Amino acid sequence: MSKSVKKFIEGNNAIVDGAIAAGARFYAGYPISPSSEIAEGAAKELPRHGGVYIQMEDEISSMAALLGASLAGKKSFTATSGPGFSLMQENLGLGIMSEIPTVIFDVQRSGPSTGAATKPAQADIMQARYGVHGDHSIIALSPSSVQDCYDLSIVAFNLAEKYRTPVLFMTDEVIGHLRETVTEVEPDPSQIFNRVQPGEDVTQAEFRPYSFSSNMPAPMPAVGGRLLMRTTGSTHDEKGEFGPGPANIDRVTHYLTDKIEKNVDDITITRSYQLEDAEVAFITFGCSVRSTMTAVDILRAKGVKAGMLQLVTIWPMPEKAIRAVLSKVETVVVPEMNLGQLAGEVRKFNDYGCKVIQANRTDGVLITPKQILDRLEEK
Amino acid sequence: MKIQIVLSGVGGQGLISNGEIMGQAASIFEEGLFATMTAAYGSETRGTFTKTDVIISDQPIGYPNVDEPDVILCLAQVAYDRYVDKFHDNTKIFYDTEMVEPAEGAKGEHIGYDFRAMSIELGDMRTANTIALGVMLKHCALRPDAVKQAIASRFEGKDKVIAINHKALDLGLSL
Repeated sequence: MSKSVKKFIEGNNAIVDGAIAAGARFYAGYPISPSSEIAEGAAKELPRHGGVYIQMEDEISSMAALLGASLAGKKSFTATSGPGFSLMQENLGLGIMSEIPTVIFDVQRSGPSTGAATKPAQADIMQARYGVHGDHSIIALSPSSVQDCYDLSIVAFNLAEKYRTPVLFMTDEVIGHLRETVTEVEPDPSQIFNRVQPGEDVTQAEFRPYSFSSNMPAPMPAVGGRLLMRTTGSTHDEKGEFGPGPANIDRVTHYLTDKIEKNVDDITITRSYQLEDAEVAFITFGCSVRSTMTAVDILRAKGVKAGMLQLVTIWPMPEKAIRAVLSKVETVVVPEMNLGQLAGEVRKFNDYGCKVIQANRTDGVLITPKQILDRLEEK
Repeated sequence: MKIQIVLSGVGGQGLISNGEIMGQAASIFEEGLFATMTAAYGSETRGTFTKTDVIISDQPIGYPNVDEPDVILCLAQVAYDRYVDKFHDNTKIFYDTEMVEPAEGAKGEHIGYDFRAMSIELGDMRTANTIALGVMLKHCALRPDAVKQAIASRFEGKDKVIAINHKALDLGLSL
């Protein structure tokens, strides 16, 4: 049986435990509230596990270091918040184009810019999807508990390795600093995905570091090994050599989107709470899940058939699950700590005449169950 | 079962420590209990208003902040004044008689002790919060043993600290 330990810790601490359990052994970062406990924990724990922690001069170089470490064969990660996440976008794009697995933990805070540095928000959702220029897709997860911070960190590294891409872990100040009961189960090796390696008989002449013919990436050997591994942020061909022809640009653009969007069923995770017979539904993610769960409980106690769809994966958007709710109920409320970033996505899929109500809070305080219920009353 | 607890006072009184001990006791040393804890504090570490919200439940916990406490500890007037309007008829209010003057007509059951003086008598001023924890404990669904184990685990390797805190907890339990 796998080793399991019960703890009462903050979400940010559980992220470090989850990353290490997933096999991550390299951290480069620049501490920033409210993510700093992740840097602190990584600095303390990684050396004990044969890993490396580097304090960088800024978030641009942090992101570059993550890509370098990953190319060298290590699972790498960093943690940041709004301003740092903005600085990481350029090299995040390099990671997407060059297909380099890594995981970025964004502990969201109020913004833009320095904003209200220590206050929670969930307003980087669109930045997560579109912060990098150029067509691409992205995988982003959003935890709603300290348990999620541990379990989903492992999922994040697995997805990064499987799809050879940076994965975003969009947590927030509420969950980052919430202390909670967590059971950390050491994953079985069979539950850990490590990037696919080329066969031992593959020669340098045969080896191709990239493949665009299916919706799955090519095997990825570490640089400095037996095979010469070429990589570039410029549009490239299978050999990793500059390939600026129109046909190549087009297929690479499609491939970078398709490898995620065509695997949406494998990637997306959602959870249902009291949704089966629901007549009123909530669709939400991250810290807002906590307040919404309580709102559902209050409504159920009054005899109202309410339920919640939780988006654990926020990118790619779990379209099927959202459509299933929209097609079934008359009213959907979307609680979130921004001005309607998820609500806009939900409306995109609303071909069913469902009434979509926003429940937004942007003052740096966790949205309350009462505020969510008030929005429903106002309809 | 869901108990909403607020530990309030000023920075440096060990309230976050108390919350962590309660959370650890519920999560690790009790069976089938869930706990959450959120903390709010000023940017100064000492002397400004601090509060910790702890929820202990036999069901998974949704919204983790406490609006209307079932049990509240007030170790400073600033903390008491902030919460006095949130007390309901069944709220148990534990307060330090030297630091807090209860409001006239306030709801709930007020239970006051001179925690600070008692801790000095016990030999360590830093145990006032642990005495208070002992007093509150029977309203918090936690067994004294579980809390003692949590204290022992938190201060592992510091036998003197464990002993004085166990003593302080026992004193609180006996009141």
